[in-house]
Amino acid sequence: MIYLSQVLGRPILDLEGERVAVLKDVIVRLGEGDHPPVAGFVARYRRRDFFLPRWRISDFGEHGVHLNSDILDLRPFMRRDGEVLLARDVLDKQLIDVDGKRVVRVNDVQIIEAANEWHVTGADVSLLGLWRRLAPAFLRSTRPVEVIDWADVGYLGTDAATVQLKSHRGRLARLHPVEIARLAEAFSYQQGAEIVESLDDDTAAETLEEMAAERQAQILGDMDEERAADILERMSPDEAADVLGDLPEEKAEDLLNLMQDDEQSEVAELLPYEDDTAGGLMTTEFVTLPRDLTVGEALARLREMAETPNMIYYLYVVAAEDSWNLIGVIALRNLILADPSAPLEDVMRSDLQVAHPDDNAADVAQKVAEYNLLALPVVDEAGDILGIVTVDDAIEILLPKGWRQRLPKMFG
Amino acid sequence: MSERPSEVSHAGRRLLRRGAQGVRRTVARRPRLFIYLAILGPGMITANAGNDAGGIATYATAGADHGYRLLWSLIPITISLGIVQEMCARMGAVTGKGLADLIRERFGVRWTAFVMLALLIANGGVTVSEFVGIAAAMELFGVARYISVPIAAIAIWWLVVKGSYQRVERVFLAMSLVFLSYVVSAFLAHPPWGTVLREVVHPHFEFGSAYLFTCVAIIGTTISPYMQVFIQSSVVEKGVRVEKYALTRADVWIGTVFAIMIVFFIMISTAATLNVHGEHIESAAQAARALSPLAGPYAEVLFAIGLLGASMLAAGVLPLATAYSISEALGFEKGVSSNFREAPIFLGIFTFLIALGALIAMMPGLPLIRVLIITQVINGVLLPVILVAVLRLVNNRELMGSHTNGPLYNLAAWLTTFVVSALSVLLIAATLFPNLFAK
Repeated sequence: MIYLSQVLGRPILDLEGERVAVLKDVIVRLGEGDHPPVAGFVARYRRRDFFLPRWRISDFGEHGVHLNSDILDLRPFMRRDGEVLLARDVLDKQLIDVDGKRVVRVNDVQIIEAANEWHVTGADVSLLGLWRRLAPAFLRSTRPVEVIDWADVGYLGTDAATVQLKSHRGRLARLHPVEIARLAEAFSYQQGAEIVESLDDDTAAETLEEMAAERQAQILGDMDEERAADILERMSPDEAADVLGDLPEEKAEDLLNLMQDDEQSEVAELLPYEDDTAGGLMTTEFVTLPRDLTVGEALARLREMAETPNMIYYLYVVAAEDSWNLIGVIALRNLILADPSAPLEDVMRSDLQVAHPDDNAADVAQKVAEYNLLALPVVDEAGDILGIVTVDDAIEILLPKGWRQRLPKMFG
Repeated sequence: MSERPSEVSHAGRRLLRRGAQGVRRTVARRPRLFIYLAILGPGMITANAGNDAGGIATYATAGADHGYRLLWSLIPITISLGIVQEMCARMGAVTGKGLADLIRERFGVRWTAFVMLALLIANGGVTVSEFVGIAAAMELFGVARYISVPIAAIAIWWLVVKGSYQRVERVFLAMSLVFLSYVVSAFLAHPPWGTVLREVVHPHFEFGSAYLFTCVAIIGTTISPYMQVFIQSSVVEKGVRVEKYALTRADVWIGTVFAIMIVFFIMISTAATLNVHGEHIESAAQAARALSPLAGPYAEVLFAIGLLGASMLAAGVLPLATAYSISEALGFEKGVSSNFREAPIFLGIFTFLIALGALIAMMPGLPLIRVLIITQVINGVLLPVILVAVLRLVNNRELMGSHTNGPLYNLAAWLTTFVVSALSVLLIAATLFPNLFAK
């Protein structure tokens, strides 16, 4: 096993053992495997970089690199697709350790020889790795160190990130969107955007919802518009409306127009409300059932729904099919426990708490907490249900900012 | 029932056409001014952060010892400060990364260790100066430093680690605004405006070690290494983008000019009140006298409030910022919400700097004003290390694309670096060999 820091700058020796150049970088080819193979080297000779393919090398290690022929191709080096340069793209850069769910900085790279091939096996993130590069040779320790398996590298914070994200597709998705969001925020905004873009639409939507409002707007605003609209469709309408509100007017309209009709109108409906009102807080995804159904029919409907909203614990009972006039609410638990032949009217509660769209957001959140509700319906003057304020949005209002942002914004 | 399911899939989905018309109205209602206010900030805050305990002591001493004869240095310093701050702000906007981050990624471990060591020493010095400032301010209120300094140190440590520092930060910030009263005081002292204007545009240089010392201290306190790290981080934190960078550039220059204006008035008011009587500043009480044209007998109280606010503000932020930079560059676990087992080095650096500052400030018989200025000199001597790193980064095409420095800009920036380095070398030489410049 060798470390990258031990081979960089070492001489490249020809068959006679004469030094012909020095080793500047090690090239690996990312692909299917978890541990990418070394594809070649960048050699430096008289201020020129040239490429040494793997097959021209007979041996490489701390003593240097041995060539197996005397012929050198001195054409200048050009990086090809799918290649990552260990010194340039990996060393000293940050990466996401999927296993440890954290962002770390690479102090060294571990390379292991197996079956006459060299493979990158891990990133050394230990203090000893740092010491290995700082200290003179005789002070170095040979103790084993903490190494992150290359198979757990979810994102590499470097120019070559797209290469790496393509070949390691799906590794990041092993994490919870909350974790992805937290990790992405540790990188620069370009790299954070790159991480979000590499996710599938659903994960990207959930991840964005966990990020700071301005950051969401920035990332979506810079993205390809079709893709941004796809992700907005997957976000909950209230979050999507918030993001659009943070974007410049024209951009917001463009994105809204690209969205599918259903999602578009849901979001558009929420846009007119002020941020700090019940209307600004509510989402339009909820389930309504007409009063004349039986419990059994209601359950059957729920099962048949093509798309269920996140919040199905409360089912809102309306006066008739196609009406929005709210007359009662049933908790899912009561629906399941009730006699299937009983009419909904007998099971529902009609003395329910409601909010109005212009109510103050803090008061509404307070009400949700006070009555121990999971959601509070928002109704207009006519008593028609417009949306619901869910408990997660209420928590955001009730908890002071410092509680939610575990990482301090120290320079803000 | 057979056609119901499709209807049911719409349950809970309301299609209201009226909503779509609301879009333009809502989006347009967002006030544009808000964007300006949100972005206008980092440059203003950072440049004026230079007017802390060490800064006030340095400018006041410069005015008291040299009268109006150092005023000329303010114009080149404004240009240098603006350029240096602007380069860092631009790097933040273009790369979205902090300075420590970029140094590590571009220069490797050894250079990073060197630059971070310089930063640690410089910031350690400034932290010491903040605690000295706390000691001096509280002594004006009649509280011994052996009481005030340990209490302040523990309070700051506790507030930062508990995450409630931000709430008291504003109080300190408001207190430090007291220093604006120097502007009024300068006018009330009736300085000879003709001489003042002549000195501003009339550069002259002396090779005495006292003069060099003051020069380096002024540069070191105005263009402190921590300010470069600081402005870049706040630009990144605010999420300023290249497209909106023009606003930030304006903010940087306005902030710079504003900060130097305050310096200008501090120097004038001390020159007009102390220098004319041949007095020097050896204690905070003497420094406070420059405010007496405005506040009369309350000058000491006014000065103490400003000094305490500015010192408390920086005494919390600086150790934290230093611990962040070093942990960021060397890849240590960081964040005040972690405990000592999770982030030993981060919390270690933070705690060490506060303890160091407090301990030095409590040394018996310490000449407070002198120590304040020496810490600023250390800043000035270490500044070239950071400046060279900044210049090499900002001119890196791979990193900055088309946003590298123009030739004139580069000339001014390298000239700044060269002059600061030369002054530092001269000062070190003059200190080691006191007879070098003797006539």
